[in-house]
Amino acid sequence: MKPPAFDMTRLRGNEAMNIIEAKDISVTFDSYGDIIKAVDHIDFVLPKGQTIGIVGESGSGKSTFARVLSGLQIPTSGSVTFMGSPIQTGKNTYQGALRKEVQMVFQDPYGSLNPRMRIVKAVAEAIRQHQGLDKKTSTKVALDLLESMGISNLDAQKFPSKLSGGQRQRASVARALSAQPSVLIADEPTSAIDQSAQAQLLGLFNDLIKKGLSIVLVSHDLGVIRYLSDYVYVMKDGIFVEHGKSEEIFNNPKQDYTKKLISSIPGHVIK
Amino acid sequence: MAANNLLEIRNLKIDVRVTRTKQLSIVDSATLIVKPGQIIGLIGESGSGKTMLCRSLVGTLGRRGAYIASGELVFDGIDLVTAKQSAWNDIRGKRIGYVPQSALAGPNPVMTIGAQLAEAIEQDENFPRADVEKRAIELLNIVQIRRPETVLKQYQHELSGGMKQRVMIACAIAQQPQLIVADEPTTGLDVTVQAEIMDLLKQIRKDFNTSIILVSHDLPLINEICDDIVVMHAGTTVEKIPSKSIKSSKHPYTIALYNSRIDLVAPKGELKTINGQPPSVGSWPEGCRFSERCDFVTDRCRVKQDLPLISIGISHETSCLRHDEIAR
Amino acid sequence: MRIAKFKEWLALPGGFGIFSGIVMLGLMIILGIVIPNFGKYKSDAFVGDPFRPPSWQHPFGLDQLGRDVLTRTFSSVGIDLGVAFLGVSIPLIIGTVIGILLGLAKNKYVLSLVGSIIDGINAFPLLIIAVAMLTFLGSGLKSVIIILAITNWARYARISRTRAVVVSKQNYIEAARTLGFSKRRIVLKHIAPNVSSETVAYALSDFILVIVVVSGLSFLGLAAKPPMAEWGSMIADGRAYLAQSWWLVIFPGLALCWSAVSLSFIVEGISRRDRGM
Repeated sequence: MKPPAFDMTRLRGNEAMNIIEAKDISVTFDSYGDIIKAVDHIDFVLPKGQTIGIVGESGSGKSTFARVLSGLQIPTSGSVTFMGSPIQTGKNTYQGALRKEVQMVFQDPYGSLNPRMRIVKAVAEAIRQHQGLDKKTSTKVALDLLESMGISNLDAQKFPSKLSGGQRQRASVARALSAQPSVLIADEPTSAIDQSAQAQLLGLFNDLIKKGLSIVLVSHDLGVIRYLSDYVYVMKDGIFVEHGKSEEIFNNPKQDYTKKLISSIPGHVIK
Repeated sequence: MAANNLLEIRNLKIDVRVTRTKQLSIVDSATLIVKPGQIIGLIGESGSGKTMLCRSLVGTLGRRGAYIASGELVFDGIDLVTAKQSAWNDIRGKRIGYVPQSALAGPNPVMTIGAQLAEAIEQDENFPRADVEKRAIELLNIVQIRRPETVLKQYQHELSGGMKQRVMIACAIAQQPQLIVADEPTTGLDVTVQAEIMDLLKQIRKDFNTSIILVSHDLPLINEICDDIVVMHAGTTVEKIPSKSIKSSKHPYTIALYNSRIDLVAPKGELKTINGQPPSVGSWPEGCRFSERCDFVTDRCRVKQDLPLISIGISHETSCLRHDEIAR
Repeated sequence: MRIAKFKEWLALPGGFGIFSGIVMLGLMIILGIVIPNFGKYKSDAFVGDPFRPPSWQHPFGLDQLGRDVLTRTFSSVGIDLGVAFLGVSIPLIIGTVIGILLGLAKNKYVLSLVGSIIDGINAFPLLIIAVAMLTFLGSGLKSVIIILAITNWARYARISRTRAVVVSKQNYIEAARTLGFSKRRIVLKHIAPNVSSETVAYALSDFILVIVVVSGLSFLGLAAKPPMAEWGSMIADGRAYLAQSWWLVIFPGLALCWSAVSLSFIVEGISRRDRGM
């Protein structure tokens, strides 16, 4: 089956639109006879140029949903569209030129990079794949990209085990950006790194947002969600309990669960 | 040792053996005083030595080839630097309890929760066997676990992260210790669970007058729960300040940590990060170890020198040379 | 500069063990090449009276047929180490590949069929299987190599399969998928290297086992046969004369121990190094 064509110029232009739309998504797992509904009939949109936060505690289904959006998980029902066209063709997702548009950054900095590949090689590999450059040039581009993220040329030659958690996360972001995507889905990007590394990573995301990247940010860390998101979805037990503009959710939560979440933030006062 | 101090750590130096002839300092000069019933927060980035310091309090340094090189470590009048294994057996788990980081350790996967608690309870050899189960249920009630009789029979994998940590706390308080060392107990747990665990710790302090050393990298959390905050950087304690006075910190590192709090910044606003990385063990700069990252640094700071904690107020000590020039 | 770096490497955990092991093994291999090819005597030549005790001319003495024990002992190096090398490297490659394919497979029937075969083979100790199969294939070194290739791969496959499953679930593999890398690329460049690191580690310790198995089978007369110079068969032949002419048994025995111990040092050193880091 040929993947649907999509219009690049509309994407790169100034027109406001929903890049990703998810309708009635459910994901059900069958684990030794136990039926687990990880995601239960939810709708979601990602408008171009915005940062949408999905906040939820562990077990809420947010990571599963993030993987549906990025094409790593096929939903049991419902559909995801990218610029109006379904991302799924047959048993595959994001075929052809579509694949590069949506990239993902994961929570665990230790598992996000191939332990047997030097950082620069991992990023250069992605660059070669998407920018069609030869080995020498792609290595140079990779080094530059990593340097712009605060990873020196010296550190770039190292294996992941020799770098800190924060550096590994930034390297993962660099690798994701090598595909020059229009959407970045970040699943708990700051959860496994310490505070200053977290601040550096968030600053990086901020810069990317200013350059027009659309981001889906999944996290249980309300501070991070509040800092970056324009719009927030609150997830619990596979459904969206509440959603709204960031200020509304944090200062004027309406649902009980949301109120409970917000009031658990140390030092936070609901106005 | 002052009569009313439960724990006195002064200028503690912890080294780790790398090869037969080489050793590295992990903690260079740590000073920490804990009074009974106090909750002290210990904050620092990775490499600050805070975890090693905790290990010295439960006597598990040897396992990693680490040892106390110099300094004082006195708990309730007992010198822990020279304490032999037999002395530690009376202290570890009985007078000093330990709650590990939730993601790393937890209840033993091959034992039922009941068996684990029994083990903790039976640390007291004189405890009557018949009463062990009753005490186990009592402990589970203290940590607010519902249906304790059911939980006793369950295994670790059947419990949520929050429940597992409550069980670890129950084991830690089984012998009614005078001091609990909690090393990042809620890191990785959900925010609502974290709030409940913190309330639980506060309750335990209130009911049993237990002192708690709470280690974390989360400043807002420490600020809210702890009486005093001790800040560590590159193996040294650089400031001790009461929680409520955090805004009048007199050490650039603490100030930088405070300013980089994400909850104080407007959405997408400019995030103040702390320059550079914490210096890694083995490559600590001479003089003040924060000098390469400090906004207030002068040449004076880089000179090789000892920078002890200086008392500058009630319960407030700092090691910054230029503390009197910091206006806030 | 180079020497300083080497000293540093040596001082890390396990360094001394790995170094000693390599030196010991290297010595054995060098002598195994030099002595049979450039030495004074041939391993099957009759050079003197039988049962001559060790002397300057014949440091390891002469055996029951008057052959030089020194030459024979070191001639065995090529056989034992060579056969063991084949007996490990072939199963290593076969087993790793099958394990990876199995770990990534989705077909229920394939999974249970091949999985059962692997578990079935692994249920038996290597020596038992080898002896059993030699009765079908007939004894001899060639048979031993074939048997090892046919059965030993299962141990590697079990390791490789488990590892492949674990690796395939890692985030960096998922990232490779979102980056659009071809399946071929993902398996070859990302999954395989991370799986083979485990199987190669196992291969090192397996090497020791196989050397002992080959010698053991030769001792039983099922692998190397006289007049071939091989430690196990030399020990078997010399057993009857042990009380009077100990050199017939002791030297091949020591050589066997030396090889096994040197490999153990290397394996132990590597494991200490991994733990220490």
